[in-house]
Amino acid sequence: MTLRHGMIAGVLALATMGFGGAASAQGCTVNLGGILTLTGTQGDIGKAIGDTAQMAIDQINEAGGIRGCRVNFILRDDQGQPQVGVDAAKQLVEVNRVQALIGTIGSGVSLPILTSVTAPARVTQVSCCSTSPTFTQLAIEGRTGGYWFRTIPTSLLQAVASANQTIDNGWRRTAVLYVNTDFGVNMARDYERAIKALGGAVTMMVPFNENQTSYRAEVQRALSQPHDSMMLIGFPQDGSTVAREWISLGGSQNLMLNNSLRSDQFLTNVGARFLNNAWGMDNAQVSAPSVEQFNRDFQARFNRPARGPGIHTVYDAVVVTALAMHAAGANADGTGIRDQMRRVISLNGEVHGTGVAGIKGALDAITAGRTIRYVGSTGPFQFDANGDVTGPALIWRIQNGQFAEVRTLDMDAMNALFARVNAAPR
Amino acid sequence: MTAYLIFFFTVVGIYAIAVIGLNLQWGFTGLFNAGVVGFLAIGGYTFAILTGPPRADFFGGFSMPFMVGIAGAIIASMFGALLLGLATLKLREDYLAITTFGIAITIQLAALNSDWLTGGNLGLHGIPRPLQDLFESNAAYGVFYLGLVAVTLGIVYWGVEAIVRSPWGRVLKAIREDEVAAQSLGKNVLRYRLEALMLGAGLMGLSGALYVGFIAYISPFDFMPIVTFQIWTMLILGGSGNNRGAILGALVVWAIWSGSGALVANMLPPVWQARGGALQSVLIGLLLVLTLLYRPRGLIGEETTISRHVTGTTGAGLTKKKETKA
Repeated sequence: MTLRHGMIAGVLALATMGFGGAASAQGCTVNLGGILTLTGTQGDIGKAIGDTAQMAIDQINEAGGIRGCRVNFILRDDQGQPQVGVDAAKQLVEVNRVQALIGTIGSGVSLPILTSVTAPARVTQVSCCSTSPTFTQLAIEGRTGGYWFRTIPTSLLQAVASANQTIDNGWRRTAVLYVNTDFGVNMARDYERAIKALGGAVTMMVPFNENQTSYRAEVQRALSQPHDSMMLIGFPQDGSTVAREWISLGGSQNLMLNNSLRSDQFLTNVGARFLNNAWGMDNAQVSAPSVEQFNRDFQARFNRPARGPGIHTVYDAVVVTALAMHAAGANADGTGIRDQMRRVISLNGEVHGTGVAGIKGALDAITAGRTIRYVGSTGPFQFDANGDVTGPALIWRIQNGQFAEVRTLDMDAMNALFARVNAAPR
Repeated sequence: MTAYLIFFFTVVGIYAIAVIGLNLQWGFTGLFNAGVVGFLAIGGYTFAILTGPPRADFFGGFSMPFMVGIAGAIIASMFGALLLGLATLKLREDYLAITTFGIAITIQLAALNSDWLTGGNLGLHGIPRPLQDLFESNAAYGVFYLGLVAVTLGIVYWGVEAIVRSPWGRVLKAIREDEVAAQSLGKNVLRYRLEALMLGAGLMGLSGALYVGFIAYISPFDFMPIVTFQIWTMLILGGSGNNRGAILGALVVWAIWSGSGALVANMLPPVWQARGGALQSVLIGLLLVLTLLYRPRGLIGEETTISRHVTGTTGAGLTKKKETKA
């Protein structure tokens, strides 16, 4: 009996010990919560994202911290399991008293955290990586309370820019071939919606599964309706196969491509001479000084190039949240932080970039009471009313075997397009 | 802290109901159900579809009352178990385990791909929480839901205790110990096994429904195979064949699971934080192994039951015999 009770008490004591261990650093500290998927199938991606988040925290501390206090980043693993993620979030909010939380990766975990922990507790949640359109829907329904933000562009942003270019090119009847993953499905749906709103038509929506040797059947289905162009959503390997078969079976060479296909692999596999009327969009932040600064810092710290999903977006998620916390003041609650999230990226503000110098400049300017505009490792960006990130879009095309940048749709142009698409009946 | 503890005990209570369900199947009847999460999913989705708000592109969203949702969840899970049982219950032990495991994964994949019914990978959100309008603060509502779960758990515990002590329950144990002997006594083994499977599944469905009612959101990611493993661990660690052990197991395992995360996050230096997840998994495994090394029959083992009048006097010897069997 005593052994049994001793064991139970021991296990419970060990479990609760974790809660008591308060920060032991000198001076004041500010807690910032983090939840990412550090183990399981997405563990490798998640660890790199977690390391990058810690790099951002270290730079913020080196730049002086939030209101002179060190930032204590409490990172928890959701193991890719919603129940574990929600529990960790509840602990961070109720026990560690965080007022802002970075996370998480999977939409299936971020969503229950938002609706059952952060939004009811009025804690600001900023995700680097959840792309599900459900969050936008929740925000429109008023269920997020405005506490939800994400630094990863939604599929809608890419789809609207592509649809706009399709119409500008004078193409009116477009067949859509898309990869059958949640990314492809959402993107294709958004593209169809945008095309209709902007005055074009989609003739066929044909999904294809990954890693097949041939997509003849899918291509033939897409060809079955008269069309003047094709939108291809996929990744280089399968995308090349689809494009080759499409062209060889007599499909239109008026092509719109998603940003993953802006790759040399795709260009060589399909053949440059067939692609002289291929267009696409990308996020415009691919070349800005703040992006290069981040890439240099990353290379210096981890000794490898800054490539991989979520790395750039998590850096911006951490920094923009920290700046908002700084702007909101020493004892700010989640609501105070929420209200500052858009102000630290004000369009007419003083521009500050990434790295220790950039963050220090931004912190000092906020302390001095000036309006600032943080331009991040993903370039300039804004949050719309639903907490979704918007940014300028870049239009490119292929000419004589080269990728050429055609023009940039600035944020005003993008916002105008969003307004038109959102106003149109679904 | 208090708010977290209320949340924690609510989750433990919800898990405990599923663990008691599994205890009925494995602990008392010896059915190796490796598809626990499938029944949680059936219960959860039935509840979500019955009580959820109407949606444009989906079937369901009937906005029915909470209790209808709960009843529906239990019935649907039991019906699922009936179909599963008729098809597979003639299989013994490991074969039954393989089949049930496969069926649970099938259910999860079906949920992932049936957009019209389950919302696919986007899940169903905005499921109403019972009586939420009556409470002004989230904290008060948390206490209410904990009470609701505690009362449900109490009823389930009392009910299952009564059942396993009844003649029907004694037949289950007889089947577990020696199926042929039970059959030779004229018991319809298949029927008893089916009834135990259905009853246990009903409790799992109830647990799934209470979880969805609590979180107000459901997606296929809630029902991955790891959940089956967690519930099994709770039962084995707490004490298979003992309902108090099942509840205690839910408490201890979930405390290890979430406490280890807090421990690792607070003890590790910042640079190592991203490695903390792996360390947490190691810690969970270590604690489970240690517990089972020192308490091989679980924290509370099965009580000896020959007759309620002799419990405690001749019990010791019989207990030992059972240990070797398990």
